[in-house]
Amino acid sequence: MKRCLPIFISLCTLGMSIGVRAETDTEVRARKEALEVAGAFSNDGFKVRDGHWCGMLMPHEHALVAVNLYAGNHYWFSAAAAEPVKKIAVSVYDETGKQVPTESYNNGEKAAAGFSVANSGQYYVSVDLVEGEQGSFCLVYSYK
Amino acid sequence: MIRLAKLCLLALAAGVWAATAATDTARLPAAQLQKAVRSDSISIPTPGELFAALEKPGKTNWSAQYREPIPMTYRNRAQIALNLGGLVADGFIAVEAKDSQQVKNIGSDIIKLAKALGVSEKLLSRSSSINEFAENNEWDTLQEELEATQNEVKSSMRSHADQDLVILVTLGGWIRGTQVVTEAIMQDYDERSAKVLRQPALVRFMQSKIDAISPELRGEPLVKDVSEQLGEIQKLVSFPPGRAPTVDEVRKVNEAVDRAMTEIESKELPK
Repeated sequence: MKRCLPIFISLCTLGMSIGVRAETDTEVRARKEALEVAGAFSNDGFKVRDGHWCGMLMPHEHALVAVNLYAGNHYWFSAAAAEPVKKIAVSVYDETGKQVPTESYNNGEKAAAGFSVANSGQYYVSVDLVEGEQGSFCLVYSYK
Repeated sequence: MIRLAKLCLLALAAGVWAATAATDTARLPAAQLQKAVRSDSISIPTPGELFAALEKPGKTNWSAQYREPIPMTYRNRAQIALNLGGLVADGFIAVEAKDSQQVKNIGSDIIKLAKALGVSEKLLSRSSSINEFAENNEWDTLQEELEATQNEVKSSMRSHADQDLVILVTLGGWIRGTQVVTEAIMQDYDERSAKVLRQPALVRFMQSKIDAISPELRGEPLVKDVSEQLGEIQKLVSFPPGRAPTVDEVRKVNEAVDRAMTEIESKELPK
């Protein structure tokens, strides 16, 4: 049950947080789903970072965010999207833009990518629309 | 119960997750990388992430990284914001040290400084949660609570048109975190730990955020000084990928962040 508490706290903060722009209902739903995917990794000792990135997924466009990661840590990037998105994928690129080999989880509108960082520095996480039409998504990450 | 059931389903799904190494050599062009979103809430790692990486090769003596209590009577808002970030990093250190009294002391100081900035009264409930989790030795939850507290302070700042102070909280936390990590690495050098210090893009991003704050705030002597020092620090943490910094390089980073931290803590503001 303790493992669920961080997710609960994150969801509570979600309700209270006032971001730079207000999140849409679909983004909030996507974020809840993304947190549930990330929650599954908590059982393996991963801590969910209290932060997120929400936006719109467009056909044939990478939704790309820069993150700064530390060597030695293992990370999982978990994303979820709302209807009419049917299927998404998450991939990671290093600072030169080269794709990083990851473990991956794909389940329709939910997906995750995980890897151990060998070199500290900037990485890019891409959320891609694989099937369906443009719609909202949200990305969270966890680490251990 | 429903949440637990969902988690179990996800855990079951984990059994069939394909470990799919990206065998293709996909590459994104530089122009696309430049357009990537960068935001405080996801692009800047928390002190908890930094400390987790530091500890991978072996145990760190976290209680040896404590510092003397800092003043609680700063009058300059930029200085309060920078010190607030530093205190949050101290909170993470106390959690790593599993020191409930220290966590409570720092939690109380965080609330004092946050109130000095006029942030939400709702934070008072965070203070009691921190105390409760500390008394019950719920360390993982405490770490989450500290992150949530910091984010709530930042949200409150944004809603009070104090957006410019948010990056100072983040910066104060990063400087204090880096001070602690460099000290710990120097005490017990290990190449694997030292590799956490390579963060040129992170420092560049924080510098760009500071460049974007109001000219009045940017012109304040403390902010100006710290911003200038950040330029120097960026050079010091720009090691080539894959190469661990030497002890001497770690010492140089430590000296630079030490100088910045001393100035941030000082009651004597630069002129």
